[in-house]
Amino acid sequence: MNVVFAVLFVSGVVLVAVSSPDALLGVLLDGTSGAVALAIRLAGVYALWLGVLQILQDSGADRLLARVYRPLLSRLFRGESERTQSLIGLNLTANLLGLGAAATPMGIAAVESMSHGEAAATDNMILFFILNVTAVQLLPTTVMALLASHGAANAASIVLPGLLSSLATAVFGLLTVNVVRIVGAKMPQRMRQKRCKR
Amino acid sequence: MQTIVLPLNAADYILPAVLLAVAVVGLVCKVPLFDSFVKGAGRALKVVAGVFPYLAAVFVCVHLFAASGLQDKVAAFLSPVLSAVGIPAELVPLLLVKPLSGSGSLAVLEQIIVDYGADSDVARAASVLVGSSETVLYVAAVYFGTVSNKRLRYGLPVAFACTVAGALFSCWAVRFL
Repeated sequence: MNVVFAVLFVSGVVLVAVSSPDALLGVLLDGTSGAVALAIRLAGVYALWLGVLQILQDSGADRLLARVYRPLLSRLFRGESERTQSLIGLNLTANLLGLGAAATPMGIAAVESMSHGEAAATDNMILFFILNVTAVQLLPTTVMALLASHGAANAASIVLPGLLSSLATAVFGLLTVNVVRIVGAKMPQRMRQKRCKR
Repeated sequence: MQTIVLPLNAADYILPAVLLAVAVVGLVCKVPLFDSFVKGAGRALKVVAGVFPYLAAVFVCVHLFAASGLQDKVAAFLSPVLSAVGIPAELVPLLLVKPLSGSGSLAVLEQIIVDYGADSDVARAASVLVGSSETVLYVAAVYFGTVSNKRLRYGLPVAFACTVAGALFSCWAVRFL
């Protein structure tokens, strides 16, 4: 994130300053104000879904779900507790059902319970992040509604390509993470120690 | 027309069904619904407060990227490379916005649908792309905002690679299905 921020910030400021320096502050404040607006909306969304999540956890239904997912999740996320697996399962289910707003707070809870207080993201956390980025979704309802409202003959015809494409992307992400993981493990001991010190 | 209406309606029932199921399961298991809900909801503001600075930083970058014209320059630069692997030039702006901004990519998608027609291959590929991937920077900011694990190591490069791969798969899926 530091690299991305530095590159975008410096080059962005320079380019805006060259073309229209008086617009710079407006652009930056648009950014931060947008974040405030989003944060306020998210507070409502999170309150709803964290409340629902708490009910699920208190009733033990999340552990039931974790049992369904265990064959898959215990292979993908080695060494994570049942509680973590149930949070991951809830997050993936919410994504699958198209409840992205519900998926996020559950995902945050899952990441928190994978954290173990370390300074760098663990391989499991990165895998979880990648699976969320590829967002396998059964029905992309927002996009379908947009297509239908512009007179598409059959908006539902993107469902199958969408599912296949996001599945393929998720598999691609999974493979890439594992390749990086294996290559990283085979790196010379010396280099790994250097990385750990940072 | 029937085929459009049916799945959209079915999807509308997912949310009520899920919420009802949660409430019923809670009642059956004798969970004090009110107490549990309040306890969970109470964490919301703390989570948002933890995530906010990261959102602010990401939003500043996204706005700078678009307003500085950098976005258009990168798109123009990447077009020939990406069209060589089968991603049409019309999709490149969308591919650049998608990892940065969810609402931004919906706006770009709508423009593509208006420009090329809702039934064109480009609009369909664009729809699949938007429907099947997430806003990388937003997810990164939100998920890693509240934990100590700040260094994402290989996370971001792989995530961006997934966005490009997702665009490729979207184009292929639309072409061959």
